[in-house]
Amino acid sequence: MDFYLGLMQVIGVHTLLGLSAWCVLHTGQVSLAQGGFFAIGAYAAGMLTTMWGWPLGLALPVAAIVAGAIAVAVGFPALRVKGLMLVVATTAFAEIVRLVFFNFTWRVETPEGMVGPDGGLGFGGIRYFQSNGWTSTDVLTLIWALVAAVMLLLWWLDRSRIGTLWRAVGEDEVAAQSNGIDLTAAKVSAFGIGGAIAGIAGGLFSHTTTHIEHGNFSILLATFAIAYPILGGLKSLAGTLVAVVLIQGILIEGLRFLGDWRSLLFGALILLVMLVRPGGVLSAPLLARVAAGKAPKTKGPSIQGERRHA
Amino acid sequence: MKSISLRSALALLPVATALLAGTAQAQTREVKIYAFGAKSGVVRIFGLNSEAAMKAAAAQINKAGGVTLGDGAKARIAIEYLDDRCTAEEGINALRRIASQNDAFVAVGPTCSNVAEPVFGILQKKAGDASDSGLQFPIYTDVAAKGGLASMSQWAFRNVPSESNMYKSLFDWIKATRPEVKTIWGGVEKDFAHSNATFNVMKGHAEKAGFEVKGQSEWLLADTSFSTQVREMRRGEADLVMISAHPFTTCGVLKEMQRQNVKPKMMVGLTSSSSMETLQGCAAQAEGIIIPTSFAPVTPEAKRAADAVQALGANMDLHNAAAWENIFTLKDLIERAKIMAKPETVQADRQKMREALASMKETQGLLGKVGRTEDREAIKPFLFVRAQKGAWTVAHTPN
Amino acid sequence: MSLLDFLDLIQTLLDGVMFGTTYALIGIGFTLIFGVMHKINLSYAAASIGAAYLSLMVASVAPSPIVYLVAALLGGVLGALVYFVCFRFLPLDKPLATLMSTVGMLLLMEEAIVHATAGMPLNYPAAFSGVVFDVGPFMLRGDLLFVFALGCAAMVGLKMLLEKTRLGLATRAVAQQPVAARLCGMGVDRTNASTFVIAGLLGGTAGAMTGAAIGVLSPLLTLPFTVKGLVVTVIGGLGSVPGAIIAGLLVGGAENLFQFLRGVSERDIYVMLMLFAFLVFRPGGLFAAPGGRD
Repeated sequence: MDFYLGLMQVIGVHTLLGLSAWCVLHTGQVSLAQGGFFAIGAYAAGMLTTMWGWPLGLALPVAAIVAGAIAVAVGFPALRVKGLMLVVATTAFAEIVRLVFFNFTWRVETPEGMVGPDGGLGFGGIRYFQSNGWTSTDVLTLIWALVAAVMLLLWWLDRSRIGTLWRAVGEDEVAAQSNGIDLTAAKVSAFGIGGAIAGIAGGLFSHTTTHIEHGNFSILLATFAIAYPILGGLKSLAGTLVAVVLIQGILIEGLRFLGDWRSLLFGALILLVMLVRPGGVLSAPLLARVAAGKAPKTKGPSIQGERRHA
Repeated sequence: MKSISLRSALALLPVATALLAGTAQAQTREVKIYAFGAKSGVVRIFGLNSEAAMKAAAAQINKAGGVTLGDGAKARIAIEYLDDRCTAEEGINALRRIASQNDAFVAVGPTCSNVAEPVFGILQKKAGDASDSGLQFPIYTDVAAKGGLASMSQWAFRNVPSESNMYKSLFDWIKATRPEVKTIWGGVEKDFAHSNATFNVMKGHAEKAGFEVKGQSEWLLADTSFSTQVREMRRGEADLVMISAHPFTTCGVLKEMQRQNVKPKMMVGLTSSSSMETLQGCAAQAEGIIIPTSFAPVTPEAKRAADAVQALGANMDLHNAAAWENIFTLKDLIERAKIMAKPETVQADRQKMREALASMKETQGLLGKVGRTEDREAIKPFLFVRAQKGAWTVAHTPN
Repeated sequence: MSLLDFLDLIQTLLDGVMFGTTYALIGIGFTLIFGVMHKINLSYAAASIGAAYLSLMVASVAPSPIVYLVAALLGGVLGALVYFVCFRFLPLDKPLATLMSTVGMLLLMEEAIVHATAGMPLNYPAAFSGVVFDVGPFMLRGDLLFVFALGCAAMVGLKMLLEKTRLGLATRAVAQQPVAARLCGMGVDRTNASTFVIAGLLGGTAGAMTGAAIGVLSPLLTLPFTVKGLVVTVIGGLGSVPGAIIAGLLVGGAENLFQFLRGVSERDIYVMLMLFAFLVFRPGGLFAAPGGRD
């Protein structure tokens, strides 16, 4: 039972990470920086509870605000570029964050000994849950309450004017700009909110694993972060959740019986999903597309309607 | 007459079935020892080797009759190895998965130190502390060697060499036998917890033994170009070069040293690099490097174990030698603690196993007796090996 | 700074610039594919290293030049494979889908390498590995010079291909104006496939040269080379081959410079900051590709 609770915790944290990427992807930008904000949230929340004894209820919001603020600060210069350049810029940012933490040492003396980030050796002893007697169910409730809250927030945002602005920017920047939409404001706001969500996810991550180090926050994590919404389908929030369950639940844990072949299957399955459902698992049903006269597998660009993303 | 014999036959039936079931149970009684570690990813050879060693050990025990359980029944040992891909989250998931099985009372692992630290972190810190909601499951580590981890929890026990002891002994021996070696230049792989931490240990003991550490060169584990570092080394003109890095970068540095004609009088390497990988990658350049290790096929038991593992297609080195030793130790502990290995006794079995592990004063290793510390770490006998013509030969056995 | 330090600095820069040829080669492949298809192929570096691994199959029977040739050819095969699996059948209006499909391919290739080799590094035949030229107080590695020369030859070959052949013409046409190219009767799919094959040939060469320069192949190489390749592509200017060359050498030299000045732990931070500086002050890169009108 504890195993399933633990797995649900992991799914919850990764769903938050995926939702943070969803935010940014919604405005049409591919950001590999979510891993960096995740790391910032992880270290910030961990440091607050372990080094200065803050309660988690305060540490998490602060971590979110810090991550969100840094996201906004980075967003302004970074979001001036688009497409592949943004991918590389955000990758570079995530790597910078990882390397900063690799070099970051700040230890304080507590009754349990020296605690704090120790550069390349990592930051251990984040045992807030265990020392305060939180059961797996308590932790699970916290994580999923936050997931629900974030999903509600994003759903509400999506339905509000802000969501419309984001989607407009995502669909066609030129048209949006011609309609007087402030592109920078839309992009940076999505980036900032995405960063804050990733910060919360990171804070939860550091407390569920009790030890974090720079290697946890590699580009691979950032790739997972955008994989969830892309695989799940960008049109719906639930798609991200489905993708996380698919990858973390089924692929990673469920296919354990496959032994060594599990890792090989991983890449192959991502490929397969993209080939069969390029819009994501929860995108428009194949039937509807066939009915509308468009084949689900296009054999090449049509003369009209070809859109190029820089 | 007929009715009596029929009734007696029918009366015998339940007895017969019970007997049959009893013997069948006794025949197929199985005790599972779980393990987890890296079977995928760049370090997958560690997991494959550990699993092979554990299976070979279990096969040997089973051939000799198996293990005796608390109720007197004999059981065969089965090994189940879960892959954690050397990541913290999967390591924790794997352990939780193991802990949720009602036939699991101990686990061997993990492979990676960066998995061991989070996994030990989620364990209950002090056994019996009701306010600590950490997991209550005993772990007996075979490979993850970053210093001091077992002190994180009273449920964590390790059978890994103490690098502090080994390098202290090594530098003392070098000081005693090679008086012309006075200065040292270090090389360290900074972004791997193990090599980074061990370098500080190496440096500390070298200085205490009276050597002058003139400086150090640093690189990262995926680096490919070492010309700057080796140039610093060349300028340092030290008698001894000590490299705390894994085979990939160790070979890269050694090849660059050959290119730039850096020929120190002696070379010292990291324990984990005393493996096939190094020899496969750069046997020529590694010629003469000395590495302390807790395994070499120098005793009859060690040779037999190495052969048994070879038969399963794997090589034995210091890492999976520990896994082999762990299975034999666990067999002894199961018998001593009278583990029942039944679904209803699983909580009690875990408790008993923890206490048995905690009460160990010494265990039987392949190179000799292995002592235990207060901190649940091991004091393993060790020796120094030297790379010679593409193989590891024994350079010195400290007493 | 003493004279010795200054000499070390120059030497370090020289080493870095020469090693940067490997980055340049990978960057060319990335930028070529991007320039033509406006899509990122994240699996490119993995395919290049994979081709080098596959070429090891003939290493025991063939001399090193043949091994490099085999690596290049296998790179072309892998390139075609990547095109067919990751790009051909995916709708063009879903760039995220191709991004993910190449990510899937990258993971698959890396895992395949790890599976086949149990993650252990393998020796790669090096060319001129013992040869060292002493030019005054400086030392030039013979094998890196060879890699540099081969890289330059590959670049010249590519330039001639792009400018002097019909295929090159078609590639450039499709890159600039796919609609018009199609109207002129050029087979867009066929051209795209051949672009991938050409990039793959280059990639196989890059993988082989990287293996030769380092002396060992390891799956650890794929992710860092992917990142470096992307950085080089962006600094050089998306779609510009000469840009990728110069950017590759620049990144190689800068890397060593930062390492010399600030140590290895901070080195990559400065490389990334250099990238940011380019993005802020010169977002088009060193040589912005001629823009199409679509």
